[in-house]
Amino acid sequence: MRIHRGRIAEHQHDLLLREYLKQNLNELIQQKELVIDGKVKTQITTLDLPTLRYGDEESFLAQGTGARGGGGSGGEEVQAIRGLLGGDHHGRELRVELDFDEFVRLAQEVLLDEIRLPQLHHLSRGGEVETEDLPELNDLDRWGLLSDLNLEETMISSLLRNVRERGVAEYDVDLYQDGWYFVEAPELERNHRSLEVYVLDISGSMRGDYLALVRKMIFLLWYALERRYPTNLRRYVVFQDVAEEKTRDEFFSVESSGGTHISSGLEKAMELLDGVSEYDKYLFLFTDGETSSGDFDLAKRRLEEALERFDVVCYGHVNPGGRGVGGFSEHVQELARRRPNLSFVNLVDLETIQKALREFIPYLSGEGGRGECGSTRRSSRGLKRSPASSA
Amino acid sequence: MREYETVIARIEALARELGLSFEPVIFRVTTSDEIAEVASMGLPNRFIHWYWGGAYKEIYAQQQKAVFSILELVLNTRPAYAFLRRTNTYLQNILVIAHVYGHADFFANNHWFQKSNKDILNAAEQHARAFRTYEQKYGRETVQRLLDSCLTVATSVNAFERDPARRMRRVMYCIEARAPLQDYERHIVEAIRKEAEYFDLIQRTHIINEGWATFVEAEILRHLLGPRAWAEVAVQICNRPSTYLLGYTLFRHIQRTWGLRRALEVRRFYEDVRLVDEMLTQDLVNRLDLFVYDPKERTKNAEVEAVKEMLIHQKLYKGDPQIEVEDHTGGKDLTLVHVEEGKKLDPKRIALYLRAVHTLWRNPVRLRANGKVYTYDKRGLSTA
Repeated sequence: MRIHRGRIAEHQHDLLLREYLKQNLNELIQQKELVIDGKVKTQITTLDLPTLRYGDEESFLAQGTGARGGGGSGGEEVQAIRGLLGGDHHGRELRVELDFDEFVRLAQEVLLDEIRLPQLHHLSRGGEVETEDLPELNDLDRWGLLSDLNLEETMISSLLRNVRERGVAEYDVDLYQDGWYFVEAPELERNHRSLEVYVLDISGSMRGDYLALVRKMIFLLWYALERRYPTNLRRYVVFQDVAEEKTRDEFFSVESSGGTHISSGLEKAMELLDGVSEYDKYLFLFTDGETSSGDFDLAKRRLEEALERFDVVCYGHVNPGGRGVGGFSEHVQELARRRPNLSFVNLVDLETIQKALREFIPYLSGEGGRGECGSTRRSSRGLKRSPASSA
Repeated sequence: MREYETVIARIEALARELGLSFEPVIFRVTTSDEIAEVASMGLPNRFIHWYWGGAYKEIYAQQQKAVFSILELVLNTRPAYAFLRRTNTYLQNILVIAHVYGHADFFANNHWFQKSNKDILNAAEQHARAFRTYEQKYGRETVQRLLDSCLTVATSVNAFERDPARRMRRVMYCIEARAPLQDYERHIVEAIRKEAEYFDLIQRTHIINEGWATFVEAEILRHLLGPRAWAEVAVQICNRPSTYLLGYTLFRHIQRTWGLRRALEVRRFYEDVRLVDEMLTQDLVNRLDLFVYDPKERTKNAEVEAVKEMLIHQKLYKGDPQIEVEDHTGGKDLTLVHVEEGKKLDPKRIALYLRAVHTLWRNPVRLRANGKVYTYDKRGLSTA
């Protein structure tokens, strides 16, 4: 067996990267432009060999690309000549560019570690719970996981076949002929997708520490929701005076400015429901609740409408200073006591996120709230799956 | 591999007809993944270090893209080992095989490579084993810290430098000779220095080596392929990374001006600095559209002397600031000096760099740079 040194080295590198993220997550997560071209870009000096570098921008050897560009006195694009040294990578500066998904995964690990949420297992597309453990396989593993085999039915089937064919009452299982499996009962199958609409207030008051709290909450929500739904459809809205739908990358690279019209954010979120067939529809709204004068009543009405149209509305009052809850948030807090599909979270720090998620996770598991929300795995006996399709 | 046996024999024969000579070459067809692994570590069996992990990740990602992926790797060993990427097309692998013979000839004939360590695979394996033993005996963290520090200062080696006094002005040699290290620590420093010298030689001959290999590749394929296939190859060669193209253009210029015999001489006696200094002309600079770019002023300087100076500086100091040991004759403290006037060092990296040197030197380390004196001792960094 080949020792894969590259992978081992990569693992060691990732351990250091995790450690770095652990120590610097707050700083990183507050970057206004968190995602650029799908990547989280950062210069992690501790993950570089600390060779000395020049401080100022120095001249470098370059080559014309033939293309006309904006920069340069000649108006031609300039391409630095790299790889002049060759050999190994020793002494080369590695700019750490984390894929955004990888960044989220690492951030989730760090956050989960901090808030000690229970580990959740991934839900597979078939609606079964995946575990981190190796699946228990037997010789018949080409047919599928042992847990899918309906042993009782299979053995009976085998016995009957052996009596019929060979005249002996023996269990000589031929899975191709005898195999019975637990499968989802078609009548119980549900759409496993969820629609999650994230609505973020980007008015002037939503600064770096506000964004950090929201992002942490979102990353942890993703962690929980991804284990509940095999596929999620996520859409993003930002609003200030007006609301706009954004891509994921844009949502995580926003500039705060302008006033707060919560109603516009809610309206845009509801627009996104048109034509949607997902089973569970979630709305997550993050704001400091300081809605502009004149918008209060409209926002109340829009919230009522949203509660009718979304299965769950989660309102995050972003409050890193830990001040009292006022304005529109106070109204939502009060309303949440009466409306079962509205939850109010006062996002002050990681502890309050933890509290919110502890309430939210049992809800997702069907242990609390609307247990009907989504589908759980149901096995069914006696439904024969074609052996060929189970391989 | 069998499908390439005939073409390898044909290419080898053509290479010898061109006047090349080389050690036996062992070809291995392998995955992009293994190529990324070897390219990130520099050698297939080198000790495992987190830093290679970052490079591996980067190269592996590049390998998945069609452009700028690594098609082959050759090791300067006896016999030479060459890795061909399994996903290469048949034509790509023919190019690669011809290119590999260019490298093998360079390794066997270039003057500077005569003193290179052809047994580096064995050495690297022994180093890796020793480091693992040290980790068990002295603790993983201790050895890791030492390795990090060694790799940080290892860029200061110069495989060409033979004058002992001048070598001692380079941090790595000074530490190896004078730092108060335990035996196992000194062994680690020595092992890293040896590996660094192996790579230093490759870095100082990168342009000439790649240029020669590309030139040989082109010459062999011109004989091997029909006009149509050759035209395709010629286009591919022009799209190679700049260093390959620069070296190739210089050898084409030498061949056209003075003939193949002179090209063979140049590959025997030159290294990058001499090649660039003697052979690069204004005409070639213009043709390759090379220039020195000043990002502050946003100006280009395409004068051959400026381009040469920049290239030579890159080759001499690997693009790193020039740091010298000020007094290498004795004393507990170590004083380093940044000798380039008018250039400043990135202050954010100074503390980390000095901490790495201090890990090895154990006593106070000073650095004169940016018009200040930085001192790193047990208490950390102080500035005067």
